[in-house]
Amino acid sequence: MTDRRGFLGEVVGAAVRAGREASSAAPPPGRGLSDAELDRYSRQLVLPQWSEQAQLALREAAVLVVGAGALGSPVATYLAGAGVGRLGIVDHDAVEVSNLHRQHLHFTPDVGVAKAHSAAAKLGFLNPGVVVEPYQAHFNAAMVEGHDLVVDCSDSFETRYAVNAACCAARTPLVEGGVTGMSGMVMAIRPGESACYRCAFPTAPPPGSVPSCAQAGVLGPAAGVIGSLQALEALRLLARLDGALLDAFLQVDLEDAGFVRVAVRRRPECEDCGAGPTSRG
Amino acid sequence: MTAVARVLDITGLTCPMTWVKTKLELERMASGEVLTVRCCPGEALENVPRSAAEEGHEVALDGNTIRIVHR
Repeated sequence: MTDRRGFLGEVVGAAVRAGREASSAAPPPGRGLSDAELDRYSRQLVLPQWSEQAQLALREAAVLVVGAGALGSPVATYLAGAGVGRLGIVDHDAVEVSNLHRQHLHFTPDVGVAKAHSAAAKLGFLNPGVVVEPYQAHFNAAMVEGHDLVVDCSDSFETRYAVNAACCAARTPLVEGGVTGMSGMVMAIRPGESACYRCAFPTAPPPGSVPSCAQAGVLGPAAGVIGSLQALEALRLLARLDGALLDAFLQVDLEDAGFVRVAVRRRPECEDCGAGPTSRG
Repeated sequence: MTAVARVLDITGLTCPMTWVKTKLELERMASGEVLTVRCCPGEALENVPRSAAEEGHEVALDGNTIRIVHR
């Protein structure tokens, strides 16, 4: 294991250097796409739904991914691959061997390494043109500042409500997601314009009433489906494509391949995005 | 006849860059403007006119030259 850790250190160092070189060589803001960018993103640029403007919007964007685990792996992978200019990766945990069946940014030699740094190393290799900023820390509201979008890939209701409240306060678009067992949900949010997570789910379930991932288990591909849907919603919001999951959440049940879009309305009394609860005084 | 507004040479490119370059040029144009695309015989001459027509543009062929009216 020691030898493999040493190898990993070299790999991480090489990725960081590659990222630095690419960052210094990156075209200044306002410039069109380079030939290298046209080549890298050609398979999305040919899509009728995509455009040069969409690609430039991604390049100018900064996205915060909260959690570098089962959902954060596909989210960060697809956003880095698609060409988001700056990715912040927040995770306080270190990689455990029991993570690896569903968290594809981490490999066996990464066990014991901080997830934020393990993820950043792989993302730097995936796309050296993307600036990746790892934060080995718990989420806090101040982290939202300076980001155009947040994707919540956390695994606790406490963090999910904290991210929703912070994004509502900062008016920063948010993509929520959650997965357990073989089911999950996804929701896109433009604070002040569409229903927020608390509008849809006003109160968190009592502690202990919902089994955790460790208790209930989760299949890797189920997390992959939910994370991929989150990444797709993030790209929609960043590029302002039609069809975003606003004022609705998608309930996904993969035991029977069921996808149900549930409409949600903003609640004026929402304590996160509205005026708060009406006074009883 | 509408005057030729823009000319694009994709003779040195292969799929999908032939359509990527053409599509991005069309994105920068206004409705009614004309793009003349010079390409090699083969896949580009088959695929670029078809993709342009699928996006709703008016397409005409003259030998190895594609004339696209932005719609």
